[in-house]
Amino acid sequence: MRYRDENKVQAIRESAIAMVAKDGLENFGINRLAKAAGVSPATIYIYYKDKEDLLTSISIEEGLKMTTATLKGFSSDMSFKEGLWVQWKNRAAFALDNHLSAEFFEQLRNSTYKDKMVEAISDAFQSAMGNYVKNAIDRGEINEMPLEVYWSVAFAPLYSLIKFHNEGQSLGGRKFKFSEKVMKETFDCVIKGLLK
Amino acid sequence: MPHILIFKTNIATAEDRSKVAPLLNGQPFIEQWTVDIEDVDCVLRVVTAEPAPQPIIALVNAGSYECTELED
Repeated sequence: MRYRDENKVQAIRESAIAMVAKDGLENFGINRLAKAAGVSPATIYIYYKDKEDLLTSISIEEGLKMTTATLKGFSSDMSFKEGLWVQWKNRAAFALDNHLSAEFFEQLRNSTYKDKMVEAISDAFQSAMGNYVKNAIDRGEINEMPLEVYWSVAFAPLYSLIKFHNEGQSLGGRKFKFSEKVMKETFDCVIKGLLK
Repeated sequence: MPHILIFKTNIATAEDRSKVAPLLNGQPFIEQWTVDIEDVDCVLRVVTAEPAPQPIIALVNAGSYECTELED
């Protein structure tokens, strides 16, 4: 008789995320994962049918974790400035605390796992984000603009700071460490550019 | 509650799998089965009402494929 062992499930999940983040999808396999997680391959098959099933489930779980973290304390009724600041703080905290998760998603980019993950999380997330932007436009706080333009101004600067931080350096090898102060300074420029 | 049994086999290709399928499909005690043909152990995973591996091993052997239970 086999019972679900949450500690083992957790070890399998964490090792899978770390392995994919580090080595990518091509080298990922159940046997290698079993060794890394300290469980037998049979144990992994108790919980997942195969590699596809495992990666799909884990990417959906991680995606939900990310969106829940991103939407924490956020409401689509907030003023544009307040809402964007909550978003920045949440996104920065998640990315800094879960950088393996961010690298895992990066490896998943352009894979079918990513599509399934986006499918699973998109509803709640997209309606919250969509309503927030629509409210801000309706209130005359920001102009209507293509999504790509909005994202590139509203969020890309934050991810650029996080990338510098994770690499430990910015341009020309300058040492860089993320801080709330540098985030706020960047945010102030961004909000100036977006508000009417 | 259903049981999950895990076996090492040599069901290595989609063709092998289609040969085993008629033996496993339609067994009242097998709720669901899958083979991971990408895995080195060609793992057969069976969701079954009975915790007994022997009938499943016998069915797979009857199709001239190897099948041994994978232990934890």
